[in-house]
Amino acid sequence: MKLKSTKVLPLLVAFFLFNSCNVFKTALFDQHSYQQTVTLKVESLALMDKASEPYANHQAKAEDVLLEMQKMVEYEKNKENNNITHKMWEIMANEERNLMAGFLKRWKNQGPLNQVFVTEAKGQIAEAYDVLIKYESKKSTTNQNALLNLINNQ
Amino acid sequence: MDFKLIFEEIKKNLKDLVGERVADFKTEGKKDIDAFLKKSEDKLKRWTELLATGGLTLDDYKWLVESQKDLVTLEALYQAGVSKIKLGHLKNSIINTIVNTVIGMVI
Repeated sequence: MKLKSTKVLPLLVAFFLFNSCNVFKTALFDQHSYQQTVTLKVESLALMDKASEPYANHQAKAEDVLLEMQKMVEYEKNKENNNITHKMWEIMANEERNLMAGFLKRWKNQGPLNQVFVTEAKGQIAEAYDVLIKYESKKSTTNQNALLNLINNQ
Repeated sequence: MDFKLIFEEIKKNLKDLVGERVADFKTEGKKDIDAFLKKSEDKLKRWTELLATGGLTLDDYKWLVESQKDLVTLEALYQAGVSKIKLGHLKNSIINTIVNTVIGMVI
């Protein structure tokens, strides 16, 4: 037996409102973001290994890493439903915070850094990059599942 | 066919679905947060010992503690993001439940 449209209508309206709700939406997995984060992690940690030497000897590389981080902030900012990854990159690239950009600022201002400090700071920066990489990977799983569901339902 | 019956069926199916998922969020989220706090505690202990033995200066120590605060912020953002992704899955499951219930009872 068919239902009257007046009874189904509220359900359909609720369905479409719920379906269009942006609160639940997250940007899709992005191969460029993932790859660039892994590359920046490797380059940043290699650069930190030199932080007990004068900053001037590695200034070009340090500025390159800073520029690449700024590019990531802009790249992530302009993706839809991506405020969490964007916020994470803002913290990483902020010289006033104490992650990668903050470390480079300290090195630049104070000169060669104590090796014990560098080792401990390196662990912190590696963990920060790992959070970004792990989060991008979570987006990947979501999409694979969505794709598999789509294929299985055909 | 009674619309109330369909609606009750949807409600029942959704309750089952949400009940399962919410239990998952709580257990998993709490486990991650506990592991992270434990890790912070170990680091603070190690840095304090290095400060006491002269391995770190007071400025180094302060910088590292601040970096841990920033890491906690990243971890909190990560947890929020993962919950959002899971809620997105839940939303999809809710939509499927509604559609399947209606299809099963109407068509």
